[in-house]
Amino acid sequence: MENKNVKISVKELRKSFGHLEVLKGMNVEVCEGEVVCLIGPSGSGKSTFLRCLNALEKITAGSVIVDGYDLTDKKNHNINKVRENIGMVFQHFNLFANLNVIQNIMLAPVELKKMTKQEAHTRGMELLEMVGLSEKAEVYPSKLSGGQKQRVAIARALAMNPDIMLFDEPTSALDPEMVGEVLEVMQNLAKNGMTMVVVTHEMGFAREVASRVIFMDEGIIVEEGTPQEVLQNPKQPRTIDFLNKVL
Amino acid sequence: MSFWGLIRENGIYLTVAMGKTLELTFLSLVFAAVIGLFFGLLNVSRYKAFNIIANVYIDCIRGVPLIVLAFFVYFGVPMATGVRLNALVAGIISLSMNAGAYMAEIVRAGIQSIDKGQMEAARSLGLSYGTSMRKVVLPQAIRVMIPSIINQFIITLKDTSILSVIGFPELVKAGQIVIARNFETFKMWAIIAVMYLIVITTLSKIARALERKISYGK
Ligand SMILES: Nc1ncnc2c1ncn2[C@@H]1O[C@H](COP(=O)(O)OP(=O)(O)OP(=O)(O)O)[C@@H](O)[C@H]1O
Ligand SMILES: [Mg+2]
Repeated sequence: MENKNVKISVKELRKSFGHLEVLKGMNVEVCEGEVVCLIGPSGSGKSTFLRCLNALEKITAGSVIVDGYDLTDKKNHNINKVRENIGMVFQHFNLFANLNVIQNIMLAPVELKKMTKQEAHTRGMELLEMVGLSEKAEVYPSKLSGGQKQRVAIARALAMNPDIMLFDEPTSALDPEMVGEVLEVMQNLAKNGMTMVVVTHEMGFAREVASRVIFMDEGIIVEEGTPQEVLQNPKQPRTIDFLNKVL
Repeated sequence: MSFWGLIRENGIYLTVAMGKTLELTFLSLVFAAVIGLFFGLLNVSRYKAFNIIANVYIDCIRGVPLIVLAFFVYFGVPMATGVRLNALVAGIISLSMNAGAYMAEIVRAGIQSIDKGQMEAARSLGLSYGTSMRKVVLPQAIRVMIPSIINQFIITLKDTSILSVIGFPELVKAGQIVIARNFETFKMWAIIAVMYLIVITTLSKIARALERKISYGK
């Protein structure tokens, strides 16, 4: 742990929507290559926490440092530059409906001048191959199944060559038979050393892939540790209660 | 005189006037689209001041009848500034200011109809707000907006007739001139009504075909 590279450092993070305080002082550190799974009941603030990590939500108080950039310090940096390095995958895929699959993947690298059209196309086809969807390059999102959409969304995020990937319940909107294909892609990413923060209800995935599991409830971290510690031998009553309900 | 005789006698004159009407409508709508896009974008901005500016414009225009706006631009402004506008320019300014306010609402509704996740996904990749708008949100919003834009085109086409009061030679003005000569009030207005009807029906058919064509992959 000591000599590892810290990718995400969250200190005393607070987030309110109006009078509703959703995050009440979160402290999290994620090192390079770690896979952190975030679990907790609905409404506990998991999505909000994840969205603070790439500043999709405005941070109310505390600090979030990603890749050395302090997201709460407005003067220091351009948030778009930081986001180029953080991929995000959403529960509802959010593929661009006006673009076909390969255009979805190529848009950001080309617009941000990371790659020429040629390079982006080549890279896009590689990524589609990786997620097993080469033959769908010219298809529009509306013609894909949920599992296929989510795999394209992962490929789209990877096209920017991010160091960090955030997943917000990537399989919750999928039919059960499609969950496996998406988890497999994520598992391969983890194996290849990607730093990942994953909000999930897939306890099997958390048990097998996570380096660390965080259980949160009502805007605070209740318990954290290895999958073994948190999922097999939970200590806090709230964790035990939650796990009894989902397992 | 018979309908046929009236058409033979005045057909070319009225067709030219219809051409001017369409030209005025088209030019006004192009400017209205620019105005509408501008105020529509101000309206969906997260900056309160921009929203207020857009709403003031929209409320002002919607609160004033087009004919008053046209008189103001054609007669009022030259009085105050000494700059004389011809009827075409004054007509285009009045119509595009008017239609611009409605287009702004169409643009706002179009953008707001697109799932927020589209903008968020684009931003999460590092794209700027402007690029995300241009490449992802607006292309989808425009598709949603097309029926309303057709509708606005038809409204503006009909509104051009109001400009007969400032002497612009559009179709209604041309009709008045002909009738002053031949006193065929009933038949002439019937002919003019049918001309509007044909053009408007044709335009909405063309536009609807266009709408089908740009519905991507659905
Ligand atoms: N934009 C918003 N405005 C106001 N309240 C919000 C907003 N986003 C989230 N909330 C509230 O914040 C709380 C936490 O929401 P969040 O989406 O982070 O929960 P979650 O843990 O991801 O839940 P789920 O498992 O259902 O996705 C909820 O009470 C929610 O209603
Ligand atoms: Mg959530």
